[in-house]
Amino acid sequence: MTYRFIGKDFIRHDGIAKVTGQLEFPNDIYLPGMLYGRILKSPYPHAIVKKIKVEKAERLGAVVITPWDVPRVKFNPRLVSVEEATYKDWEILTDHPRFVGEYVAAVAAESEYLAQKALESLEVEWEKLPFSLNPFKSMSDPSIRIHDKILLADKWVNVENNIACKLDYVEGDPDEAFNKADVVIERSFHTNRRYHLQLEPKAVVVKPEINGGVTIWTTTQSIHNTRILVSQVFNIPLNKVNVVKVPVGGSFGSSIQTNPVVLVATALALKARRPVKISLTREEDMYEHCSYEMYLKIKAGALGNGTLIAGELENIMDIGAHQIQPYPLLGVALGWFVSLYKWKNIRYRGLAVYTNKVPSGAMRGFGNPQVTWAVETIIDELAEKLGVDPIDFRLKNYVGRGDVFWGQGPTVKSVIKSDGVPYLLTKGAELIGWSKRGDPRAKKGRYRIGIGVARGFHTSGAGGPLSGSVIDYTGAILKLNEDGTIDYITALQDCGGGTLDAHVKIIAEELQVHPEKIRVVYSDTSTTIYDVCTHASRGVFVGGEAARRAAHILKEKIKQYAWYLLGEIATPDAIKIKYDEETRETVLYVEGVAEKQITLRELAKMLWQKNIGSLSATVSYRAPSAPPAYTVCFVKLLVDTWTGIVKPLEVVFGVDCGTVINPGLAEGQVHGGFMMGWSMALLENTVYDEETGELLNRGYLIDYKIPSAQDTINPDKFTVFFAETYEPDGPYGAKGLGEAAKNPVAAAVANAIYNAIGVRFYELPITPEKIVEALHKKLGGENELGS
Amino acid sequence: MSWDLNRSNTHIIPFEFEYHEPKSLDEAVELLKKLGSEAKVLAGGTDLLIQMKMGVLRPKHIINLKKINGLNLIVDKGEYLSIGALTKLRDIEKNEIIKSRFPALYQAVKSMASIQIKNMATIGGNLCNASPAADTAPPLMVYNAKLKIYGSKGYRVIPIEKFFKGPKQTILENDEILVEIMVPYPKPYTGSFFIKIARTSMDLAKANVATKIVLNENDVIEEIAVALGSVAPTPIRAKTVESYLLNKRFEEKTVYKASKLVLKDIKPITDARSTAEYRRYVSQAIVYDALINSYKMIRGEKK
Repeated sequence: MTYRFIGKDFIRHDGIAKVTGQLEFPNDIYLPGMLYGRILKSPYPHAIVKKIKVEKAERLGAVVITPWDVPRVKFNPRLVSVEEATYKDWEILTDHPRFVGEYVAAVAAESEYLAQKALESLEVEWEKLPFSLNPFKSMSDPSIRIHDKILLADKWVNVENNIACKLDYVEGDPDEAFNKADVVIERSFHTNRRYHLQLEPKAVVVKPEINGGVTIWTTTQSIHNTRILVSQVFNIPLNKVNVVKVPVGGSFGSSIQTNPVVLVATALALKARRPVKISLTREEDMYEHCSYEMYLKIKAGALGNGTLIAGELENIMDIGAHQIQPYPLLGVALGWFVSLYKWKNIRYRGLAVYTNKVPSGAMRGFGNPQVTWAVETIIDELAEKLGVDPIDFRLKNYVGRGDVFWGQGPTVKSVIKSDGVPYLLTKGAELIGWSKRGDPRAKKGRYRIGIGVARGFHTSGAGGPLSGSVIDYTGAILKLNEDGTIDYITALQDCGGGTLDAHVKIIAEELQVHPEKIRVVYSDTSTTIYDVCTHASRGVFVGGEAARRAAHILKEKIKQYAWYLLGEIATPDAIKIKYDEETRETVLYVEGVAEKQITLRELAKMLWQKNIGSLSATVSYRAPSAPPAYTVCFVKLLVDTWTGIVKPLEVVFGVDCGTVINPGLAEGQVHGGFMMGWSMALLENTVYDEETGELLNRGYLIDYKIPSAQDTINPDKFTVFFAETYEPDGPYGAKGLGEAAKNPVAAAVANAIYNAIGVRFYELPITPEKIVEALHKKLGGENELGS
Repeated sequence: MSWDLNRSNTHIIPFEFEYHEPKSLDEAVELLKKLGSEAKVLAGGTDLLIQMKMGVLRPKHIINLKKINGLNLIVDKGEYLSIGALTKLRDIEKNEIIKSRFPALYQAVKSMASIQIKNMATIGGNLCNASPAADTAPPLMVYNAKLKIYGSKGYRVIPIEKFFKGPKQTILENDEILVEIMVPYPKPYTGSFFIKIARTSMDLAKANVATKIVLNENDVIEEIAVALGSVAPTPIRAKTVESYLLNKRFEEKTVYKASKLVLKDIKPITDARSTAEYRRYVSQAIVYDALINSYKMIRGEKK
């Protein structure tokens, strides 16, 4: 299928503003009379606040709020799940901080400097409590009680042994299947705890309105959920809370939930009766969120003929001090597990455990990179033990076309209709030189090269035929302007990946209007249809289809009026629409009747001049499925056995995201996804000081490293290729991509390291320290000389 | 001052201080003498300002040296190269003499920070900050650099090896300022090299090393210097390695044996960046690599 606009690259709607620094992010918002807010954070991992003396701060002219000045309601900052699946254990400000960095009080003053002075003048009386930085300690030490009771929807539940929530699942008869298996492997894995390191630290400006409401500009992936949370917490009706859509400076999942800073700024603004801005420093931002740290145990069984027959997963998650979405993740982690391979007989035990650490949130892949790393390691080991080529083994057992897919957990199931996995695996193997990868036991010398592979996938949104426990729908509004240009109004955020440009191309294709005539309008919650959130790789698949449907409705209306205004045509169905490259006009015409045609521009003007009225379309859309986008990552790398340093040599990355809407940006997603996965495999971790409970790096980037441009792979050695598939539920056959582009990477890197040096690592990140130590043990302390 | 998350605010400098811009060395020294430990000297600011924003340093006075003439020049003095203490790292990286005659220094500076930071950071600041990981220290040590210091008692010149006392500590008195780094030109048949092990590019060192060898026509090592950073409280010379190799013929096997001896010269610790064990291990590898590459520099095999 060839398209006029889809699959072609155009200048992004926000591209020039971004590269010239003109685009305004929340931190660029200045309002007359605006105050600057600062937040007092707990220096202790677990404490009770006995008293806060605010007099000195108030004498400096600051507005001060303490836990006793704000609504004392428990909430969950994330509203993506339905209420019955939402545990609430957060407060705006707390007198019982449960991690270093938790918000205790806040001040607002005329300048950031004065606010800082006021903050430093607050006198707090603390009572320190015992704390835990380890989920196993949390579960076993009765002296540590992080939460006594929390809310599930609106009912109190008691917390036992610091277990936040749990989920068990059994399918078939795993015990019998393991007995029948010819090969059984059991391994324990421990992932890292990564910080999102999105470009933009969180910022917010809140303006109190004369009607008792507020207007909010903030960093968020969901303006509507931010609006609803503020409405619920402060008991202000939704029609008086307006959240303005401001570009996001990257997120990787860090703003799926409403950032707690929004609630603090709202409380300050309501008290001060003046606009308040709070802008977090990078260091504060690092104390706000991180990925889920998982302790995974997998037991896998296969028959001698290479057929998987049983899989067992234990998933113990260190979620930190509060729940954002561990309960959904317990289901989703199981979903990732069962949707990778046909285990047939399944057992799952999932536990989310509180610790006195920074709360975990979704981070590009929502547990999928972690689970995939473990599963794809086990799959490699099983293949080796069975003497089967790892690629054949994967092809034989993967979940593909016709199978039931429940990537988003047990409540979001749908049947797979598009599947490029066989092509991705075979083509990728050929491109990387898979057959020549060699046996690690035969590799000698200081520098060793290894090739590894891993599969991955991610859902496209969280839609499905049944309503389920996840809210997933969106909306779109299209307006035909009086000169034939189009305004596209959506609440859906573009987290930087070019999602809204994909929408523009989809609208352009449907209406045959050039993308430059379609304006992406940044409006607000009062003028847009509800959208849940830009997460779960749903922006193109769900939002793009809503945009397509709106464009389709608008197109039908346009045809109706063309039929009416052109006259003498029997039926509107005879009207066709096309884009004329030469005149750069959209033309409505009748095949074979040359005189019966009108440009969209002329039509729009006539609608106006003849008092006919405006044409528009409004859509609220729920996707009937959440199909998997598939990826396969092959990586060739070099290990220096003396220093343990690993360097990428070549990457071959195959992608099945259905129809590719933004080719350049899709490739960019893959490059970015690879580096993020590479960094997860080898580099990143937020480490805690056992004595103080602080982050060891105290939030400073100087000791939180991600690869810089100089550490990336030469783009000439990075091949991205796409499977030609068509997803019937997606707009023009498209699926998601952002997370699938990262999910297989850590596993592929780990498998390549094994292929190079013959050592498997079960803890991330695989640092040079760990590699050298492992080799030291293996080689009995003797280095080989020379290379 | 210990760290307190509520006193850290990297958006601003979260306290008041008095700012001074002396026009001469004498004026600067006088200020230092008067203000004592309440004053901090600002050379480039890339280390100092971070600590101020973090709230761990809150000096009452900042003395910026940038208005003092002549402190930021690189001058060929015949026998030695004179590098002003306020010379920006970026100017060192771009200097042709340094690149061709002092390759280890060039490589060290090239490995440091981003261009934006290097346009602010100064070589004197890097030395006076006295981080055990200071990348410019090992190369200057192997090139036998001398440091010219000015204070209320006038000038004094000391070899760089005597400069560092411990982490963040130098021999500078309260009223003294480092003004110039004097680096003698190496002899013919000298090869030198710098290697840094770090988490990523532009990172602080887990360990770094500079080596310099001078060979005679029979490949016998006539002069040798090996210096490492981030593996002891201060940058250090690896005297055991040096004495083992001195007057021996340069051969891979000999160098390999010598590299292992570096364990006798270093006293690494575990910190946020790496472990003591890894530092011990990797020091051997980089001493070996740097020596081999120094040899290749002499042979013209390496640029």
